[in-house]
Amino acid sequence: MQSWRRKSLWLALSASWLLILLRVFPVLRLAEPARRQAGAPQGWPRWLDAELLQSFSQPGELLEDGPQPPQAPRGGSCYRGACFDASRCRGGGLKVFVYPAVGPISETPRKVLTSIEGSRYHTASAAEACLLILVLSPDTPAGECHPVLPQWDGARTIWSSVSTRPLPPDLPAGTGDGGRGQPHDGHLPVRLWRGPPASPRPTLCEGALGQLQQHSPLPGVALIAVAEERGGWRTVGTNFSACPWDGRCEQDHGPKQTHPRATLPNATFCLIPGRNPDALHFLQALQAGCIPVLLSPRWELPFSEVIDWTKAAVVADERLPLQVLAALQEMPLTRVLALRQQAQFLWDAYFSSVEKVIHTTLEIIQDRVSGASAHPSLLWNSPPGALLALSTFSTSPSDFPFYHLQQGSRPLGRFSALIWVGALGQPPLKLIQAVAGAQHCAQILVLWSSKKPPPPRWPETAVPLTVLDGHRKRTRFCVMREGRGTTLLSQASDRFLPYSAISTDAILSLDAHSSLSTSEVDFAFMVWQSFPERMVGFLTWSHFWDETQGGWGYTGERANEFSMVLTSAAFYHRYYHTLFTHSLPKALRTLADESPPCVDVLMNFLVAAVTKLPPIKVPYGPWHQEAKPPLVPGSPRLRSEPRPGAQDCINQMASGFGHMPLVSSRLRLDPVLFKDPVSVLRKKYRSLEKP
Amino acid sequence: MCASVKYNIRGPALIPRMKTKHRIYYITLFSIVLLGLIATGMFQFWPHSIESSGDWSVEKRSVRDVPLVRLPADSPVPERGDLSCRMHTCFDVYRCGFNPKNKIKVYIYPLKKYVGEAGVPVSSTISREYNELLTAISDSDYYTDDVTRACLFVPSIDLLNQNSLRVKETAQALAQLSRWDRGTNHLLFNMLPGGPPDYNTALDVPRDRALLAGGGFSTWTYRQGYDVSIPVYSPLSAEVDLPEKGGPRRYFLLSSQVALHPEYREDLAALQARHGEAVLVLDKCSNLSEGVPAARRRCHQQQAFDYPQVLQEATFCMVLRGARLGQAVLSDVLRAGCVPVIIADSYVLPFSEVLDWKRASVVVPEEKMSDVYSILQSIPRRQIEEMQRQARWFWEAYFQSIKAIALATLQIINDRIYPYAAISYEDWNDPPAVKWGSVSNPLFLPLIPPQSQGFTAIVLTYDRVESLFRVITEVSKVPSLSKLLVVWNNQNKNPPEDSLWPKIRVPLKVVRTAENKLSNRFFPYDEIETEAVLAIDDDIIMLTSDELQFGYEVWREFPDRLVGYPGRLHLWDHEMNKWKYESEWTNEVSMVLTGAAFYHKYFNYLYTYKMPGDIKNWVDAHMNCEDIAMNFLVANVTGKAVIKVTPRKKFKCPECTAIDGLSLDQTHMVERSECINKFASVFGTMPLKVVEHRADPVLYKDDFPEKLKSFPNIGSL
Repeated sequence: MQSWRRKSLWLALSASWLLILLRVFPVLRLAEPARRQAGAPQGWPRWLDAELLQSFSQPGELLEDGPQPPQAPRGGSCYRGACFDASRCRGGGLKVFVYPAVGPISETPRKVLTSIEGSRYHTASAAEACLLILVLSPDTPAGECHPVLPQWDGARTIWSSVSTRPLPPDLPAGTGDGGRGQPHDGHLPVRLWRGPPASPRPTLCEGALGQLQQHSPLPGVALIAVAEERGGWRTVGTNFSACPWDGRCEQDHGPKQTHPRATLPNATFCLIPGRNPDALHFLQALQAGCIPVLLSPRWELPFSEVIDWTKAAVVADERLPLQVLAALQEMPLTRVLALRQQAQFLWDAYFSSVEKVIHTTLEIIQDRVSGASAHPSLLWNSPPGALLALSTFSTSPSDFPFYHLQQGSRPLGRFSALIWVGALGQPPLKLIQAVAGAQHCAQILVLWSSKKPPPPRWPETAVPLTVLDGHRKRTRFCVMREGRGTTLLSQASDRFLPYSAISTDAILSLDAHSSLSTSEVDFAFMVWQSFPERMVGFLTWSHFWDETQGGWGYTGERANEFSMVLTSAAFYHRYYHTLFTHSLPKALRTLADESPPCVDVLMNFLVAAVTKLPPIKVPYGPWHQEAKPPLVPGSPRLRSEPRPGAQDCINQMASGFGHMPLVSSRLRLDPVLFKDPVSVLRKKYRSLEKP
Repeated sequence: MCASVKYNIRGPALIPRMKTKHRIYYITLFSIVLLGLIATGMFQFWPHSIESSGDWSVEKRSVRDVPLVRLPADSPVPERGDLSCRMHTCFDVYRCGFNPKNKIKVYIYPLKKYVGEAGVPVSSTISREYNELLTAISDSDYYTDDVTRACLFVPSIDLLNQNSLRVKETAQALAQLSRWDRGTNHLLFNMLPGGPPDYNTALDVPRDRALLAGGGFSTWTYRQGYDVSIPVYSPLSAEVDLPEKGGPRRYFLLSSQVALHPEYREDLAALQARHGEAVLVLDKCSNLSEGVPAARRRCHQQQAFDYPQVLQEATFCMVLRGARLGQAVLSDVLRAGCVPVIIADSYVLPFSEVLDWKRASVVVPEEKMSDVYSILQSIPRRQIEEMQRQARWFWEAYFQSIKAIALATLQIINDRIYPYAAISYEDWNDPPAVKWGSVSNPLFLPLIPPQSQGFTAIVLTYDRVESLFRVITEVSKVPSLSKLLVVWNNQNKNPPEDSLWPKIRVPLKVVRTAENKLSNRFFPYDEIETEAVLAIDDDIIMLTSDELQFGYEVWREFPDRLVGYPGRLHLWDHEMNKWKYESEWTNEVSMVLTGAAFYHKYFNYLYTYKMPGDIKNWVDAHMNCEDIAMNFLVANVTGKAVIKVTPRKKFKCPECTAIDGLSLDQTHMVERSECINKFASVFGTMPLKVVEHRADPVLYKDDFPEKLKSFPNIGSL
């Protein structure tokens, strides 16, 4: 028995040892009653009494939270509601007055002045302005007394200082200490760019064009360029190991070359280290189409209120250098490509000249003042940019010709024919019939600018016909002309006014003397629907560089390429009427009024500057040219040959635009079976080939 | 298990020699041991059973049973919130490390009940909403139960409503959390901040460097880029079923809030007096009928309305500041598809870091309240409709549930830490309908590539050497050709020796492939240095040099499109109810053959790496339709039609027509139609665009001296 007892004791002991060895604890826990429900994922427990838990707010608490009087804004700094008197802007929109310069000023402030004066918001009268701007020279020390300004009531003034020296971080960039003048920091006013780079950096201010020429994510150059503290760029090979920016491990990585200060970086990513990076480096990167990579900058990115910088730059944490480098190397090509294009687009749209920077600033203020009718984000962040997509036209992107793809929308499938009857014109009865017969014609508008009264009866047409009075009431103009003894009341640019009678997206612009067949109109409109942002025309001009004159010239001779289409017969989006009237500088429109062929040039310049693409030519029957009426001296527009005296206007336009926006094209869009040796019965647009 | 077997074997040998009493005793003992061992063994292999942290062992099923923590009166209190905190100063990004999935890891502290020294609870343990919030985080990809790997910590102390907690003691409870470390990387959720009388706009609990996801921030307390502004959850979201409603709305402007300052009431009354029926101002009901909760009823004079249903009757709904800036009514208003008119100066709207509120709301300064009607009247009808849709979408995506709020908050923080992997403005703001219909062209910048760059011709060949050499000779005559790449698709035969190849003026490279696949034609070879690529078959000898050069020039004007010669069309076959391939000479074009076509080399990358579904393999298996696949791909990403150039209708030389008989032609057509149907189903849509135009030289067939034309020899059909 003793042995049995001992054996059993031994057995029991070994068994319990085994149990301990095989992790006795889980067994014990299994026996515990508070085991979670089987299969529940590990994590926050599913409480049995979750249903019984009380809500975070007692019923009625959300309703009853004690009424409070409206609070006055606290703190000493300004925000728009308190310091900016927006009510003065509501009536007539934003009106900007700029104080004239006192004494001699250097070049950049002068440019700022002229840009403001050239803006469509500029007014010459301080009394009607809702925003007064004082341009400070970089030489004026901050905080120094400024001359007493006549209109100074503090509530309307914006300080604009153009600074080339780095400003202390606590002083808001681009501002002076202006009492109630709008400071640019604080939480509402514009974060004006820290002074556009000024005179010592001339390459950036002269309307410099972007450098990106290819849609290539990795154009066979260095992956990364690093901004040097002394200026300039250092390209880094792809086989770097770490921290190429902090200079310590300079010897460790691959081939590098240092570029002189003025050149632009030639790389895919431009690393701009430092907590207060140099604005110049940032701009150079944008211009070069190089994706700026910023490491925890202390400054707000320029115009960050409206520009979505995540689409164009990489802002990373400097504490994770290796992760940033790895992320750059592994970034999908799709995204690299998109970032590069966006960086380039932003450069072109908002930063490429002092003028653009200033106009962008004013546009942002206008957006704040206008509230609900501000630009939607899409308009700011996709080509052609908010300066060229006027929010006064519409705030709905699908009303513009540029955003149909992003919106998944299409332009309206009909068009309005706008027939301009010039000073000596006759009612264009035949043309009206031809156009009215077109499949997609919605309405015909006759813009009657002839000295003769319009006929009492118009031909019966299938579509409504409206006669618009082309004699605009323009007091100032009339007085001026009457002083010279002229009775001419209408102007060439009147035909591009945004008439409210135009009800469709597409306009077919015509002259009384134009000659078109229904089939031509039908086909051209089909083409326009594929290219709603371009002009689609029948007759073309081309521009060329005239070596002998040292200037631009243009010709209507038939050639293998063209860059302009005549607006005497062209389809385009009605938005271009608004843009023509409201965004072009007055000087250019006056120029066009004085020399009518310039109107065509100007319209083509405008569309090309917006789209950066050539217009489109569609076939035009040669028989029209033969049937042309004799030339009338007053209306040379119907000739395809520009008047010799008008040659100069292209140069004036080019200098007005700052560059030559026209782009040449070498193709014509024809119907698919155009002039093919196949049965005529197969062809949809058969009368295009023979009248 | 081995041990138990051993005992089993020994068992029978022992048993017969024992007395019955002992035998029972031993059997019981053995079976207990056996059972214990089996259970242990089973437990070892039970999934997810090994706990890495001992905290869970004390977990109870009921909230009432959670462990009690007594806070000494002198336990430390964190500093007040640091207003200068930003991600790069107060957030410890090293804890997030590098994560290949670019996803932060969030740890949730286990639930405890905190009591002060006197035993008085610090707060109610946990509210229903906070429990839901923590459950949502725990169910998401962000969650980790490993405290050492976590990058963000969420205390289980419920701070949603400041009224239901004791400020100082709660702060002490926060400070004693195991990883508190001055609040670094801790995320606190709060919806109702402040308390009487002054109602601070941020949580009053001292929290040092912790991030605050708060409802009702003002610009004075909100740390831009650090805090997250979240909505105040409306319990009605879950309680009431409110289906979307279209159609006209009776009132132009409606105010439904009950607790308003008398000054605002006066302004509202004045508005109503001025605009009559169009404005409806609601208030509490004085004589509430039995059984209806006050929260669900609103009255105007004697007339009673159901809330929130009445919100669907209005175009614009007022959201005025109350004691707090954040109002739960905003959520109800959005849900009703009513455009919120927000009158609360300095209020930081929920998720304003990523949401574009301009698209869904109207913000009016408080001093302009009397003008609100005219401000709203000036908004065009179409914009209002878009705002209504946007409002409803915001509610569905970000306000609807506590879970939606929690996940949006974490996504925002995640995007800050991994900015290069952040989701875009469109992802946040575009409603699904827009996302579905819209196209973002990868080559969106209008650029005309310089002519000097030229193009690379890629000839796919198998073994037709003679024809290949002819193609090479022909193509090399094109002025803008800059390189020729021959893709040798025959693995059984070596390409001809170097000396046999035609001598041409541009570099010629031969690439040998590993497998005879059609997709080799569209591989992004490193040898391609130009943007423009000309894909050309080894039997295309009929294209003239002018024709090819012109094709390249056209491509330069349309670098984001496929530019090809013979055009083809897809048609809807009404009888068969499916797509049909059409090669007849029609007036329309929706595809071009890639037997000779120009396109951007980026599309090679897309074809090889981003082709949706199994299309690529399908093409390789069927040895057909690679051109249709390319047409689909390009049209799908750019949303644009192809450009057909010149009158060319077919690639077959006149003498070849005799070869392909009618039957061969018909099977070919059937197969091609099948491809279109297959691809359309994989893409989920028909991306091809039909156009009626082709590109010809400006002076094509014009009455003009031929020798003055740039492209006189443009070829025939």
